[in-house]
Amino acid sequence: MSLFIRNYKLNSLAAGYNAKLWRLNSTTADSALKKNDEDEEEFRVLDILKKKDRIQRRIIRRTDMQPDRADRMAPNQNWGNVWPGPKTFHPSSVPLPLRQGYVPKGQAPPGKKANAELMKIPNFLHLTPPVIKSQCEAIKQYCTEWPSLLNSEEAIEKHYPVEIITSDYCHASPSIRNPLARIVTLRIKLSSLNLDKHSKDKFIRLVGDRYDKETDLVTITADRCPARAQNLDYVNYLLTACYHEAWNIEEWEKDKTEDDMEYYDWNNNASKKSLVNWHLRTKNELRTLTDEEYKSFDISVIEGGEEYKNAVSSLMNDGESDATLKKYGEAVRKVLGLPEKKVM
Amino acid sequence: MLSRSWRHLCRRYSQAATFRTAELSPAQHNEKQEGLFYTLNPDLCKQLFGHGGLPKSFKQQTKTFTETAIMVRQPALDLINCIRSSDMSQPAIRYVLYGEKGTGKSITMAHLLHYAHEEGFLIVHVPWVSEWLRRLPRHKEMVNSPTREGFVDLPIDAAAWLIHFKSQNQTLLKSNDLKISKEYVWSKREKTEEGSPLSALVEHGITRVKYACDVIDALIDEIKILSNNKQCKTFVAIDGFNSFFYPLTRLNTPTKRKVTPEEVSLTTTFLKLTTNDWTNGAIVVSADQLAVPDANQESHFPRYLLYKKGFEHLDPFVPIKVGRYSDKEFLSCAEYYRDRLWLRGPPEMETELKFTSACNPYRFMEQCAPL
Repeated sequence: MSLFIRNYKLNSLAAGYNAKLWRLNSTTADSALKKNDEDEEEFRVLDILKKKDRIQRRIIRRTDMQPDRADRMAPNQNWGNVWPGPKTFHPSSVPLPLRQGYVPKGQAPPGKKANAELMKIPNFLHLTPPVIKSQCEAIKQYCTEWPSLLNSEEAIEKHYPVEIITSDYCHASPSIRNPLARIVTLRIKLSSLNLDKHSKDKFIRLVGDRYDKETDLVTITADRCPARAQNLDYVNYLLTACYHEAWNIEEWEKDKTEDDMEYYDWNNNASKKSLVNWHLRTKNELRTLTDEEYKSFDISVIEGGEEYKNAVSSLMNDGESDATLKKYGEAVRKVLGLPEKKVM
Repeated sequence: MLSRSWRHLCRRYSQAATFRTAELSPAQHNEKQEGLFYTLNPDLCKQLFGHGGLPKSFKQQTKTFTETAIMVRQPALDLINCIRSSDMSQPAIRYVLYGEKGTGKSITMAHLLHYAHEEGFLIVHVPWVSEWLRRLPRHKEMVNSPTREGFVDLPIDAAAWLIHFKSQNQTLLKSNDLKISKEYVWSKREKTEEGSPLSALVEHGITRVKYACDVIDALIDEIKILSNNKQCKTFVAIDGFNSFFYPLTRLNTPTKRKVTPEEVSLTTTFLKLTTNDWTNGAIVVSADQLAVPDANQESHFPRYLLYKKGFEHLDPFVPIKVGRYSDKEFLSCAEYYRDRLWLRGPPEMETELKFTSACNPYRFMEQCAPL
């Protein structure tokens, strides 16, 4: 204050000098002082966050990007050349307004660009009908004509009884191999093999559950070798081995008992014995017979014996059902001399 | 209150209804009574089925209905007709009842037992074979047979059966006409003299339970001889006969070995009875799915249930199918249930019940229970 008073006293000094004196106290005050020279009426604003400096100007870059390839495609182009093989969906190569994806109700699904949903699913854009047609045309020159004599299923079955079934697998993965392609199945109708009664029975027993009684088909499947060709050899070998083994008659096959029989022969079974015993008992001439005598016993002396024999055989061979059992009951009633069941 | 009890009384004695027949003797039953119910005399019912013979659920029902009413059905009529027309001097004919579960094989057998009783047959009736071989109550007693090597006796079951036999044949045994043909020596001090009545043999088995199985064996032999000599005619009824041929029983020896049916002495005895080497008799057996474990109930046909062995044992037999209710039988049964207040509600219900129960008698009875 004393300094000010001293300056004041020195009246001759200019205002500029006065300012120089203020500088001793503060440097910032100096600039403010300058502003104050212009508009001294306004308040100064303390800008703590410095908002004004942070605002960046949006840069609008003008580019010379070409229009999408999909938009430039000619409608009469050859699609097979655009999309020659299987590949993941690419939006710019497909001139279709595709949309795919889940959205809340009422909204349109997202478009094709940058759409992962479209890329996830496999597509068949490489297999359009014209492409297939042209490819078939191309490989036609390597094909031979279908034999004219093999004009029906029966003819094919007759000339080519063995059916080989394999599967090929197509992959879009790095490896084109599939282990399932090695499996080979051989199918043949049993009736197309040259077998007699004994060998047929033996063949069926050898193949076991590979034989289907209803369709008469023998199905042999091999998957034990790593390559298809090996498995094919193996199924052929199995069929050949079973066939020739079926024709062999071993020594032990003579020991076949009634339980091992593939069908029910009434003459060799206990049913005949009991009928013969019953017959002899009714005639009061019961005697012990040998097995041979039982087998050779003439059942025509028993009334209804023949019918009974057929009824029991069909019951045993065709399985039990209401029909076979009814037939059996009728036959038994006839043999035993009972009245027939009344139908009400 | 009075009117209510009066109504009840009316219902109880509604004998004039269309679903009942007044013909109480099975010997007189014919096609006219088919599908109608007849009521068994309670005293006779107690005598015949007091020790088993009616299935448990049916027994409960008779208690609920305060009467034992049996429907006259075609299989029973057929069988009665066959028995009547068969030549008794010929070897005994085997009849096999078969049919699905709950169609009334046991009730048919009960009807036939009543018939046999009326006709004066000596009744040899096994109520349920599985009771011996497959049911294991706590008091089940099993001993090795003292007389036959390798066999197993079921003395208590055998004695219980002898009581059943005695009760069923009260009148025939009382008359003392049936004499035994040879002397049976049971032990040093016990023997049954030749010529003593059959009832003495039965009594011995009941009092000396230890010998019950051997007594049954002897009894069966004697019955066969008596029948052959035409001193009596015999009616054999065995329910659940296929149990004898199922490969295993539930019995275990003290050494924990499984017992097969052939090793049970009662099996051999009753198999002996069901052969056709004797005359003057009729043999009715039933092949029932319920007599074997669940795993072996694939089919209800006799060849499957009896196995090859059983089929050959019985062959030639007359198969008698006990089927589901026919329309007429179903309506008659529904009416009977309405009369007994077992079934109530609008009349359309019967069509629905017929559909849901598929005309199976047991299922029909079960489904009516909550209605």
